[in-house]
Amino acid sequence: MSDLKRFLLRRALTFIPTVIGVTFLVFFIAAVLPADPAKLWAGGEKANPQVVENIKREYRLDRPIWEQYFFFLKNVVTNEMVSPVSHNKVWEDLGRRLPVTIQLTLLSFTFIVSIGIPLGILSALKRDSVIDMLVRILALLGVSTPVFWLAYLLIFIFFTRLGWITLAGTPVPPYSITGIPLIDSIIKLDFHTFKQVIERYWLPSLVLAYANIGVIARLVRNSFLDALSSDFVEFIDARGLSSRRKYVHVLKNAMVPVITVLGLTFGGLLAGAPITETVFGLPGVGRYLIDAIRFYDYLTLMGGVLLIALIYVTVNLLVDISYAIIDPRVRY
Amino acid sequence: MPENCDPIIEVRDLYISFYTYAGVVKAIEGVSFTVCRGETYCLVGETGCGKSVTSKALTRLIQAPGRIEKGRVIYYPKPGHPIDITSLDEGELRKIRGGEIAYIIQDPSAALDPLYTIGFHIAETMNAHGLVRSIREGFREAVKYLNKALMPDPEERVKSYPHELSGGMKQRGVIATSLSTKPKVLVADEPTTAVDVTIQAQIMKLLKELKSGEGLTLILITHNMGLVAEMCDRVAVMYAGRIVEEGAVLDIFKSPKHPYTRALLNAVINPLVRTSKLESIPGTVPDLIRPPRGCRFHPRCPFSSEICLERPPSFLIGQDHKVACWLYKDEAQGVEG
Repeated sequence: MSDLKRFLLRRALTFIPTVIGVTFLVFFIAAVLPADPAKLWAGGEKANPQVVENIKREYRLDRPIWEQYFFFLKNVVTNEMVSPVSHNKVWEDLGRRLPVTIQLTLLSFTFIVSIGIPLGILSALKRDSVIDMLVRILALLGVSTPVFWLAYLLIFIFFTRLGWITLAGTPVPPYSITGIPLIDSIIKLDFHTFKQVIERYWLPSLVLAYANIGVIARLVRNSFLDALSSDFVEFIDARGLSSRRKYVHVLKNAMVPVITVLGLTFGGLLAGAPITETVFGLPGVGRYLIDAIRFYDYLTLMGGVLLIALIYVTVNLLVDISYAIIDPRVRY
Repeated sequence: MPENCDPIIEVRDLYISFYTYAGVVKAIEGVSFTVCRGETYCLVGETGCGKSVTSKALTRLIQAPGRIEKGRVIYYPKPGHPIDITSLDEGELRKIRGGEIAYIIQDPSAALDPLYTIGFHIAETMNAHGLVRSIREGFREAVKYLNKALMPDPEERVKSYPHELSGGMKQRGVIATSLSTKPKVLVADEPTTAVDVTIQAQIMKLLKELKSGEGLTLILITHNMGLVAEMCDRVAVMYAGRIVEEGAVLDIFKSPKHPYTRALLNAVINPLVRTSKLESIPGTVPDLIRPPRGCRFHPRCPFSSEICLERPPSFLIGQDHKVACWLYKDEAQGVEG
């Protein structure tokens, strides 16, 4: 296990330069855009030049770019970054919206894992059967259906026709432990809130998950069949192990590539969230960032992108850790 | 069969087919042989002759699309106590497979699950056969078997993953795993094809020692005539799914009878016969979806005649020396199968 510990330590240390690199990229992409943010924030072409000057000084827009970067970095760390549009602290604005996005992606991820993996195993065990064919079609439809089209279609069915879902507000319980109602209600065993959250989020999460379920199912199927045909399975049979033991070995081997892709999928879900949030009227980070772009509020945009990048990098860290725990070959 | 043979495994008139898209491959047709307790019995032949399939059929390890069509495999755990393996249910069979009849499969680097340690493989096998109560207990036992398989530094190696071991060490790990259930029969399917020559010699020496030390019966599957000469008591030469000649190893090497056996021995250096030139066998292995009529070797045989279109029986031509060839019809002392 010392191998594993050394790997984990090294992997955790690489986390730091990754995060610094992310702030650097986020800042420079926003900063090199050819626009005059101060004038826009002050009210456009007819803005008072004095106000524009004040804004420039306040946000160090008149200083060299590296100084701007350190100003940005300092404000990010000390929570002093204030949006010139909403005049709120950026982290607080984002923090209010983050639970919505997290609930959406978590639920979506749960759908992918709990539907995609069993479906993949099933189509591997019943290879070339009707189920296998249906999963193949599902994967094809999943990657070729535009999210917004599917979303509006389902809204038409479940909201307009059936009236099963609501499209306004998000449930917030009176207590807060982690700040995420979905997790809080599970911790508190508050079934009422849990049900409310699920009712509001199941459809958007399913829409977000849809493209990935079939893809994951196909991946699980193929890597399961790969593992099943390896020589060690023959030796498992020759050793006289039970078929239950055999499938434990096969499944564990099949999961190695699946975990990697699941980690990447999580990033894809975060990236896909803005569209889903906008269509379903969920006040999440993604939708907030789209608004920020419209007002050229690049401080909020940088904060939001940084936040999502941090989540993504953290998820990747977790993926790598679980990868190393499962597969001893990557611990070096 | 030798006079004082106490049979441990008896194969009677075995037929195995593979149902592929291209057609039905008749991989094994009418194979019968008896393995005596305590001997080393060799199945020898070129790739695709059915030697591996035969060895797998001993514990019904044939996977779909393969199927045992006909025939019996009888296992005698004690003299006079036959168990018909071909009619056992899965649960009963699993106790024998890996327990009493253990395997060493061809490629050691692929035989072990890369996600588990050597110790786990041994412990898991012992646990499955009820020899230890837990994996943890099996881990302690594992060191003992790694020691028996002459694994260097077994206390450390028990915690090693397959990718941390060399080919030879992996093969020792596989052997230790197979030994851990104290089997009576060890089936080694080309145990040295995937390792280099020095390791090959070490592994063979080890198998010899284990055989006498543990009182094993060894069934060795190989295409290497050198190994046959070195290891075996009796040999069955297979060609295209049939046994063409069977006998004591000295008889086979000194006076091979079947044209295929002779051709096979002419193709390698035979230490018992002075050879000036190595010869190859003309033609190729027949397609087993549409095998040749009668004797399957006749299209490549320099001595073939009309009668070869009829399948030859096994002629007994000496004590414990059988050959399936019409050439020996007149000097035969008896006919089997």
